[in-house]
Amino acid sequence: MTDRTDTATADARTGLPRTAKGRRPHYFADPATDRLLAMVVTLMEELSATRDRVDSLERVLERERVLAEGAVEAFRPEGETAEVREARRAAFTARVLRVLDAEIAESPQESPSFTHVK
Amino acid sequence: MNAPGHHAMLPHPDHDETARQEWVRTFRQHLATRVAPGVAAVYERRVLPRFRAQHQREPADRHEIRREMLQDGYHQFWSALQRRSQELMWDTLADTVEREHDALVSRAKALSADGPGSLELDPDLDIPTYHAAVDIHLQPGGYHSEFAPDDVAAGALYDAALPIYLAGALGPENDLLGRTLAGFLAHHAPEFEPRRMLDMGCAIGNSTLPWCRAWPEAEVHAIDVGAPVLRYAHARAVALGARVHFSQQNAERTRFDDASFDLVVSHIMLHETSRAALPRILAECHRLLRPGGLMLHMEIPRGGTPFEQFMLEWETYNNNERFAGYMTDADLPRLAASAGFDATDCTMERASLGMSTEQKSYGAGDFSFPVLVARKASADAERQRA
Repeated sequence: MTDRTDTATADARTGLPRTAKGRRPHYFADPATDRLLAMVVTLMEELSATRDRVDSLERVLERERVLAEGAVEAFRPEGETAEVREARRAAFTARVLRVLDAEIAESPQESPSFTHVK
Repeated sequence: MNAPGHHAMLPHPDHDETARQEWVRTFRQHLATRVAPGVAAVYERRVLPRFRAQHQREPADRHEIRREMLQDGYHQFWSALQRRSQELMWDTLADTVEREHDALVSRAKALSADGPGSLELDPDLDIPTYHAAVDIHLQPGGYHSEFAPDDVAAGALYDAALPIYLAGALGPENDLLGRTLAGFLAHHAPEFEPRRMLDMGCAIGNSTLPWCRAWPEAEVHAIDVGAPVLRYAHARAVALGARVHFSQQNAERTRFDDASFDLVVSHIMLHETSRAALPRILAECHRLLRPGGLMLHMEIPRGGTPFEQFMLEWETYNNNERFAGYMTDADLPRLAASAGFDATDCTMERASLGMSTEQKSYGAGDFSFPVLVARKASADAERQRA
């Protein structure tokens, strides 16, 4: 499966639209710069959320006194854990690259990523 | 124990959704306090001096400032980041609302069925072009689109977005605008006691509820064109113990009787309409008011200096507030007079919300909210005029 298919699959599950109707302005001489900056900002968001998650995890483990030294370093994901992790990575990738959807949404054909009931 | 302002209709972000939403809020505060002031600095330090050297004069207005600033690299970066913060806000909130979509719809139905107040939808209502053509504030789907039967997603998104969008300025119940305008009325016309009032363009009714609390005996009606926000609004009002009659109607022409309200209000709604709709809404207010009744429309700050106006107009060009620019130059009292009010009864007043720098987004400056005030002439005065 290519990255593009992964993104489309992730969005096919989506019930709510993720791009706003109306032309998306670009701010830099080259619109590619706008897209890159949008991705960088999304990465900031994701990194911050991940750090919060790690912080929560460490604090809970510390509070419950369940983490043995070196246990995290030695851990290898397998089976369902590995699948969940892979799905999360795919969703993460789709989120960071979602700015590209705006370009598709602006094209004349309606975006297939959601069903408009009314 | 629940936090202040908590109610049964709010979506529940999970751990990572909470983390993303908190980051977007942090990011926007950083942009407001650390990046946006830099836009004023580059204007003063390099854009304005260059303009003066080239033209031997000051920039004439906000449009001329805008033409210069669009070329400035720092302004480009701020604009791009500000735009992205708005997009990410909706994107992360949509994760939560999408995940809880079915539960939100069920909760809304159950609360709405319990009353008090009422909810009346009109599936045949034409959605005005100013809602249908672009998604206001970049909220995907806007206020009116439905993605499930009995949908409330647009309302849930909007309610959850307000504390992020305005950095908590509106308070735990997102009701500062309503509290401020109700307080303004109590100060402006202390003798005035609304018995039946209408809030136009109410969305989720967050600004409507303070009116119920200020005048508990009043019969409070609220209208909007969007069905999903109204379903959410009624459920939310029930959850917060308020009695409001919500109905899906266009403020340009409602189904209410002539002279059936003492008071008609709106909270930062007029700038979301259009050049054609605005005079019709004002004329409709005049029709709906009884003689001696009051009309109050709170609007968004438009800035004092041309530079402040340019900054505030960012939303016009970048946040799908297409009509907001027109409001900077609009003479609202004159439009109200053309709509049937006596010109001597129409004034612009100001109401301060006491917002902090981090809550303003576009730098400091004049940030009081304009209020269009008009009183419909008494029956005697109407007869004399005729």
